[in-house]
Amino acid sequence: MLLEARNVSKAFGNFRAVAGADLTVEEGEIVGLIGPNGAGKSTFFNCLAGDTLPTTGRILFDGADLTRAPPEAHARAGIGRTFQVPTTFADMSVLANVMVGAFLRHPHRNDAREHARRIVEMTGLRAEQPARSLGTPGRKRLEIARVLASEPRLLLLDESLAGLTPSELQDAIALVRRIHQMGVTIVIVEHIMEVIMTLTRRVLVFNQGRVIASGTPEEVVRDEAVIEAYLGRGAPRQRESS
Amino acid sequence: MKKYLAQPASAQRVSVCLLAAALVLYPLAFSGAFYRDIGVTFLLAAISASAWNIVGGYAGQVSVGHSMFFGLGAYTPLLFYTLWGWPPLAGIPVGILLSVGLAIVIGLPTFRLSGHYFSMATIAVAELIRIFVGTWALVGGAIGLQGPAMSRGWWDLTFRGDLPYYYIFLAVLAFVLIVTFALERRRFGYYLRAIKSSERAARSLGVPVRRVKLQALALSAAFTSAAGSLYGVKTGFIDPDSGFGILVSVQMVIFAALGGAGTLFGPLVGALILVPLQTAANTWFGGSGSGLTFILYGGIIVLIARFEPGGLFDLWHRFAPRVWRRVHAA
Repeated sequence: MLLEARNVSKAFGNFRAVAGADLTVEEGEIVGLIGPNGAGKSTFFNCLAGDTLPTTGRILFDGADLTRAPPEAHARAGIGRTFQVPTTFADMSVLANVMVGAFLRHPHRNDAREHARRIVEMTGLRAEQPARSLGTPGRKRLEIARVLASEPRLLLLDESLAGLTPSELQDAIALVRRIHQMGVTIVIVEHIMEVIMTLTRRVLVFNQGRVIASGTPEEVVRDEAVIEAYLGRGAPRQRESS
Repeated sequence: MKKYLAQPASAQRVSVCLLAAALVLYPLAFSGAFYRDIGVTFLLAAISASAWNIVGGYAGQVSVGHSMFFGLGAYTPLLFYTLWGWPPLAGIPVGILLSVGLAIVIGLPTFRLSGHYFSMATIAVAELIRIFVGTWALVGGAIGLQGPAMSRGWWDLTFRGDLPYYYIFLAVLAFVLIVTFALERRRFGYYLRAIKSSERAARSLGVPVRRVKLQALALSAAFTSAAGSLYGVKTGFIDPDSGFGILVSVQMVIFAALGGAGTLFGPLVGALILVPLQTAANTWFGGSGSGLTFILYGGIIVLIARFEPGGLFDLWHRFAPRVWRRVHAA
């Protein structure tokens, strides 16, 4: 078991954004996390990445308890993440951005640059381009490159493929596949069902802070609770009668 | 020469060499007391602004309380001289150690704040220290402290003319810039710039943000303290306002911001423009006691914030390619 999140909750005042969520990820999996807007996916993600301290529950990574560890400790342990709103280092070049990630395992500049160059090449970015001049798809790609350079064992992708054109989407899916083939375990939050269907074997559906269904993508899209969560109560019956 | 003009990277190297040569030769070319005074004032401003730049520019943690380190550096050698007759040279490292200690004590709580709140906290701490020092009789209270009137040897760092100071300051400035240059290229420098851009993203990549910021502040404090010490021994006199006053802090910010915060030579360029301007303003309009300096700074803050948040270096980087092309075409 690579990642085990047990009974994770996060409350903001009286509002429980995450309410007792469980997630276990085996090494080598790609797990999808879906759910309507405001279901608590991102908050749950932030708990896994150490960005948000959960109110209850435990997060174990490779047997070590990381529940209360800061995000940098999560990164060192091997959990990498991207952000829903891409946060690249705008004042730096693409290569320098990726080098910041590479420095985690390669403290010396030349090693880090060498490593970063390979990643930049693999992700199809231009090394010397200023990060500021990238559009949203480029920034998302750069975020993936940057976190990849830190050599994570588990990668948490938070809607990294949203807002792409169909051809960009195909490239991005291919890139995620490549990363997976490199031996990186992936948890992916995504709204686009095409991504979930093609990439994942196992999907968890979030609603109102809890996991309401899990299984193969084909199973969950037929799940009544899932349809209800997305379309509202009564939707399955209406669909049958129509 | 044509070859250099075509290659901005070598052009940069050439301009650095030219600048260094100009600074070394300046006192030989201008021997008048007035010009030497400007030279020494410029170097001191460049040292402290470059020291501030490490944490304020590269790491983007805009401290407006660096006078606390400057004052500590200025007071310590003079205090040890007054109390026990220590040579000021021996007091300088003590001042640096105290400043690093202060940086850690101040940095631990204030780095929990960000943006304007961090700036405001640093102002508050520096002002508290200034007021406290002004009421503490042991350190001279509001009157301040004096250094050795007569030199007992070179270790007293008390010289007749400005020339020895000029070259000592120049050496310290070179040291500060070389250290900054070396750090800029290492992991530490990349981490500082990453922190400036987004602490959250930096942490997600394993950057120990709080530790890196503390290290930057400690190093910055050490250099600022050295600048303060140099000011103290050169002037031979220090009081709460000239050591811990808010204008001391603001000056560092303005010089660095005008030239370009977070660039190696930005603070130096800022000082190169502002120190002569300030001296001229004081000469023409009489006395540094007038509020003119403040008006000047206020105007510059407005202009930088409105038109050139990146400072002159940024402006240069945008215009230089066009200039190069034109030179090349001609």
